[in-house]
Amino acid sequence: MQSKEHSQPSLFQRIRQPHLDGTTQPFTGGRSRPGEWPRPSGRRRGLWERSSPPRRLTGNVVQFPPTWLRPAQWKELGLQALPPGLMVVEEIISSEDEKMLLEGINWTEDTGNQNVQKSLKHRRVKHFGYEFHYENNNVDRGKPLPGGLPDICDGILEKWLKKGYIKHKPDQLTVNQYEPGHGIPAHIDTHSAFEDEIVSLSLGSEVVMDFKHPDGITVPVMLPRRSLLVMTGESRYLWTHGITPRKFDTVQASTGHKSGIITSDVGDLTLSKRGIRTSFTFRKVRQTPCNCSYPLVCDSQMKATPPSFPESEREASQLEQEYVHRVYEEIAGHFSSTRHTPWPHVVEFLKALPRGSLVADVGCGNGKYLGINKELYMIGCDRSPSLVDICRERHFQAFICDALAVPIRGGACDACVSVAVIHHFATAERRVAALQELVRLLRPGGKALVYVWAMEQEYNKKKSKYLRENRMSQGKEEEVSSDTPGPELLVEQVPDTGHKEPACRMPSISDFQEGGRNSREVTNSKLPVHTNRTSFHSQDVLVPWHLKGNPGKDKPAEPFGPGGSHDPSAVFHRFYHVFREGELEAACQTLSDVRVLRSYYDQGNWCVILEKV
Amino acid sequence: MKLLTHNLLSSHVRGVGPRGFPLRLQATEVRINPVEFNPEFVARMIPKVEWAALLEAADTVRTLPHARARPEWGGGRGRSHRRPGSLARVGMPRGDLGLCPQLHLVEVPKEPIEGYEHDEKFLRKMHHVLLEVDVLEGTLQCPESGRLFPISRGIPNMLLSDEETET
Repeated sequence: MQSKEHSQPSLFQRIRQPHLDGTTQPFTGGRSRPGEWPRPSGRRRGLWERSSPPRRLTGNVVQFPPTWLRPAQWKELGLQALPPGLMVVEEIISSEDEKMLLEGINWTEDTGNQNVQKSLKHRRVKHFGYEFHYENNNVDRGKPLPGGLPDICDGILEKWLKKGYIKHKPDQLTVNQYEPGHGIPAHIDTHSAFEDEIVSLSLGSEVVMDFKHPDGITVPVMLPRRSLLVMTGESRYLWTHGITPRKFDTVQASTGHKSGIITSDVGDLTLSKRGIRTSFTFRKVRQTPCNCSYPLVCDSQMKATPPSFPESEREASQLEQEYVHRVYEEIAGHFSSTRHTPWPHVVEFLKALPRGSLVADVGCGNGKYLGINKELYMIGCDRSPSLVDICRERHFQAFICDALAVPIRGGACDACVSVAVIHHFATAERRVAALQELVRLLRPGGKALVYVWAMEQEYNKKKSKYLRENRMSQGKEEEVSSDTPGPELLVEQVPDTGHKEPACRMPSISDFQEGGRNSREVTNSKLPVHTNRTSFHSQDVLVPWHLKGNPGKDKPAEPFGPGGSHDPSAVFHRFYHVFREGELEAACQTLSDVRVLRSYYDQGNWCVILEKV
Repeated sequence: MKLLTHNLLSSHVRGVGPRGFPLRLQATEVRINPVEFNPEFVARMIPKVEWAALLEAADTVRTLPHARARPEWGGGRGRSHRRPGSLARVGMPRGDLGLCPQLHLVEVPKEPIEGYEHDEKFLRKMHHVLLEVDVLEGTLQCPESGRLFPISRGIPNMLLSDEETET
């Protein structure tokens, strides 16, 4: 397989394309056509599939669907390829046209509420054709903006249609102006809002745009000045795209400002100072629901089938992909900024471990616990590449993996911690399997600490911090308001008064004793959406996360401040199975080689300390 | 990824089991990261190390012809490499096999010597190999299935696809 690749060294070379004024300019990229690419079916394929070899169309034009390899093999061979369906056309307009377009934008706000320029915190925006609403990331197709697209765009769009750079005439235009330091968070343009083809013209300055696949692969792409970015297919529907808010980009030193992927070859990199970049993004508004081949990230198709209690491993895995993994990837920065206070009992557990212990933090998130005890060798792992990135920035040892298959040799760890992780698994079997993995990592005599969210948010007549109004609790799950956090409250250990009266009435039987699923409480199989800061009424819930900015404040831990496509109140739903009293302990008892050393309640969480026998 | 971390990692491709260890390391970018020497700590790590795997990993890092090693920038604990300007061109490494002279990956002894707990020279060597060598870019290969896991910016991505985890 690999020898074939080596025999095609020209696979990723530039090709020449006559451009609008007749001169020949290079452009890179391969365009995918539907049918040419292996389409992901319902099941998730390996990221990269094999494809057909390059075809020579005319003298100067070679069409080369890049050969997709596994990311690791791709790296090994030193080859790089654009995301499928992505193309960058250089020098697509002349300097004169660029000047004309830039001068043609009237940024001053119209009083008639037409083409209203919304001043987002970080970048200036103006819409034509249809207004794009950032509250729900969608357009109001019933209320087109008067005037349609500006006249000056007509000629340019006709040219592009004729040349075949675009296939459809767009009817919506969003003009974004980015000053150096501005960016836009990684996002996928809403499936239900726009058709497949989305094109973006870069004026005034070049920029590096990052494309990210759900598996964590990030591809930085240079968009030169006066170039057109064309996103179709997988690059439009599945990969996210974003611009990091910064003033310099790392670019290829040798090729200068040419489009294409920026390699990780450190020897050929240099810094490029950003200028003011204005993008003209042309899209066609959809009039019917989206029916793409990427249902898990498609709002039309996900809305048609609201998430329900999973009936199989496969459904559980898909539910977790959509309502856990994808969400954490989107909210990672904001999430991390709300997770800075280690919980005292977890700290206690870590500090009590013998010096020189090897400890795994499974589901380490932003690495909150990885640096607590310097006498330990701690390694963290998490399913979210963005969160692991944050650990790495803090110079911790961390890697990306699934908690159901931790790639650490069995018996290697003196201890494990898993804080607020197992409650994200959608079936009882998967939750037990996660516990089993933790135990597998332990050496005989090793200890594990597990924390899960409790259904009982009021215990011993005391409300957890989560229920208490207005103050940010210690790392509690959600931040509705992102005001500057108040003084950190210490956990108040609830003394055992002897007579427990939990606010929630609960049967004393857990899943495991009954041997079945706990869907009994759910009358239909749809998952309810929980209202934050209230008691739980169901064990399986979707908990909202409001990705709000903090107006007037730019926290370093939150790189994508307010503004951007998730402004002002994008909501993400995360799946949780909240545990009843005794349920976690019972789950541990089903494992053959463990002993429960301690079982307790800590500020809205059920906790166990296990020992491997 | 430090070599001590590599020593703990094992392939979890379905069906591979203990034959998934050790992962074959191929490094294309390595950095030396000064870490404060704590002899007691290193002494406690020694019994936990799978020695043959460590020897193999140290060997591949030291001898790979196109391996590039960068000295630590700006002193300190490796924080400086993210500052603007620190991504300027790296001078071509000098020395044997293109390795930077600072990558003084000493010979790792074939096994821990008796009384190693008090042998400072030995402990310093091990400290350097286990904790100061940081693989930034490369791959890890499952010895049984051949599956490659990429290491990018020091982070191994050990995620398997659905097919690889399905029974």
